[in-house]
Amino acid sequence: MQNILAMLQTGQDETLQPLYAENASIWHHMSEALYQSLYRVLSLLVAILPGILAFIVALAVFTLIGMAVSALLRRGLTAARFDDHLARNRGDIDWAPSTSPTALIARISFWASVLLGLLIGISAFDASYATTTTLPSSLLPYLTRVVGAVFLLIAGTLIARFLARSVLIGAVNQQLQYARFLSLGIKWLVLVLTAAMVLDHLQMGGNIVALAFGILFGGIVLTLALAVGLGSRDLVSRSLESHAEHSGERSATPPTTSTTGPADSIRHF
Amino acid sequence: MATADPISAITTPSARPDNGLLVLLAAMTPEQLERVLGNLTASFPAEDLLIASPDAVSDALPAGSYPSLRIVAAPAANAAWTLTAADFVNAYQLADKNKARGLLMLGSESGSLGASALHGLANAVLTTPTDLAVSCYDLPPHAGLVNSAILYPLTRALFASRVRYPLAPDLGLSLRMAERLAGVAHRFTAINQGEAPLWPVNEAAVAGFTVDQFDVGPRLQSRPTGPDLNTILPLVTGALFSDIDAKAAFWQRFRQLPPVDDPLPMPQAPSSDAAADIAPMLSAFRLAYSNLHEIWSLVLPPNSLLGLKRLSTTDAADFRMPESLWARIVFDFLLAHRLRTINRGHLLGALIPLYLAWVASHINITTSGTTPECHIEAVAAAFETDKPYLVSRWRWPDRFNP
Repeated sequence: MQNILAMLQTGQDETLQPLYAENASIWHHMSEALYQSLYRVLSLLVAILPGILAFIVALAVFTLIGMAVSALLRRGLTAARFDDHLARNRGDIDWAPSTSPTALIARISFWASVLLGLLIGISAFDASYATTTTLPSSLLPYLTRVVGAVFLLIAGTLIARFLARSVLIGAVNQQLQYARFLSLGIKWLVLVLTAAMVLDHLQMGGNIVALAFGILFGGIVLTLALAVGLGSRDLVSRSLESHAEHSGERSATPPTTSTTGPADSIRHF
Repeated sequence: MATADPISAITTPSARPDNGLLVLLAAMTPEQLERVLGNLTASFPAEDLLIASPDAVSDALPAGSYPSLRIVAAPAANAAWTLTAADFVNAYQLADKNKARGLLMLGSESGSLGASALHGLANAVLTTPTDLAVSCYDLPPHAGLVNSAILYPLTRALFASRVRYPLAPDLGLSLRMAERLAGVAHRFTAINQGEAPLWPVNEAAVAGFTVDQFDVGPRLQSRPTGPDLNTILPLVTGALFSDIDAKAAFWQRFRQLPPVDDPLPMPQAPSSDAAADIAPMLSAFRLAYSNLHEIWSLVLPPNSLLGLKRLSTTDAADFRMPESLWARIVFDFLLAHRLRTINRGHLLGALIPLYLAWVASHINITTSGTTPECHIEAVAAAFETDKPYLVSRWRWPDRFNP
């Protein structure tokens, strides 16, 4: 019995001793890994910090230079009456104060300077980034994709709003009762297209985006076609009838005659 | 690629009509052409006239008629319903080439004008110091409504001119007036905008030239072919707004309106059976109110929007747009055009339903017994009264917004 107990005790000691040793080793390895990771990240930050600082300084300096150049140009061109000279030489003189040639030149010079600062800053950042090999190699190119996607989104939103307004005003002036619906349809068509382009540009979603876009776009087009087709049957038939009547009248009478009937008594010009 | 110069194709007359009258005709039928030439030769010696026509006159007229009349070819007009920039350039080139002393530009359907009307227009620029002789037509009550609603009131309020038809297609021009107009028109033709309408009255006012208008009686008016109101109204108002923008330094100063010399012809009030149906115009306005409110709110102040809201719920029989509201609407659209508050195409498109509302109101008012001319004069007076608002907002668009 005592032998058995002694064997068990020794067996426990044998099994417990290595377990304790392995736990200590795991904690040690974990802390070691965390420490190394922290060290890597901090050293990476330290490595790219000059690049970030250079980027900010370049942007700030060139923005200030741009402001100075813009102000100088604005004053100089205003003093030289540049707008008046240009208006005298050209016929298209419908400039608003905010879009006069002087304001445009000043604005262009400012933004050119800012863009130059941005390029120089990115170049400086890129140089410091190249020295640090620990940063994932796809991060910076992906950032440029994000910038491109933001531009796409802005352009798409602007185009959608412009087209929606154009369609709305045109449809109202054609007295289409579903003008707002048509305008909304066009707006969402362009927005869906923009969203699909943005996601594709960001390489997100893969085939799912293309598929979803196809379904949505097709759905909107089909809805619009059905709505317009069913809603404007009378309009189309009236238009065709009036066209046929006009053709008949034109062949019978000269086109420019005085109008006497009540329906034609209104002459806008 | 070389392009043919339309002026060089003109057949040079054997004897140059120095110090004569150049008559520039629009394309017209042979009957109308014969009528115009008959009226002209009844008023002036044929030797003093040089006729420029885009039509083949010798083929159109009977053989042997008007033997002493000199006729040259002219380029065809860009638009049949009004005079455009290209027409003024061509007119001056012809006048300069033939050393004419004055010009008479006659639009399409000018065969309906009487001999006295042509004589009045031409005589004004030949024998009096008048630089610009403008026709004043005796039109039916519901004709020329864009002119009555926008062109005449704006021209009168801003350029202090009583010319009733600023876009008249029949004009008499002195040589210096033609030269000035050609100079302005050249800026448009140089950038391929030869079809843009010009504003001779505004140019004459800025140049300090003498302007006079002549009652020419009734006239058949040619319809704008092809484009409808949705195309023509933005074209005309856009051109006028741009011209006003370019001449802001002139009209911002206060100018006294000249006194009325001769009362204008007063078209009779329409009889009840000739009353036009305003229902389509009102439905267009109401549809626009429910759809374009968001766009109008970018352009119009709250007071105007409130006025439009009231109008949108008014019955057809009681539909009256106050003159002050219409004047304020046009001024606010003019300001938005200048400031580019929204895209200019959208802006001018959004004006169309409001114009139709004004037309409906005008028809209601005239049907109730007021003569059209009285109402149009009231509208023009409202524009004059509200001019300080336009000037203030033109100068300080952000600071002054009641």
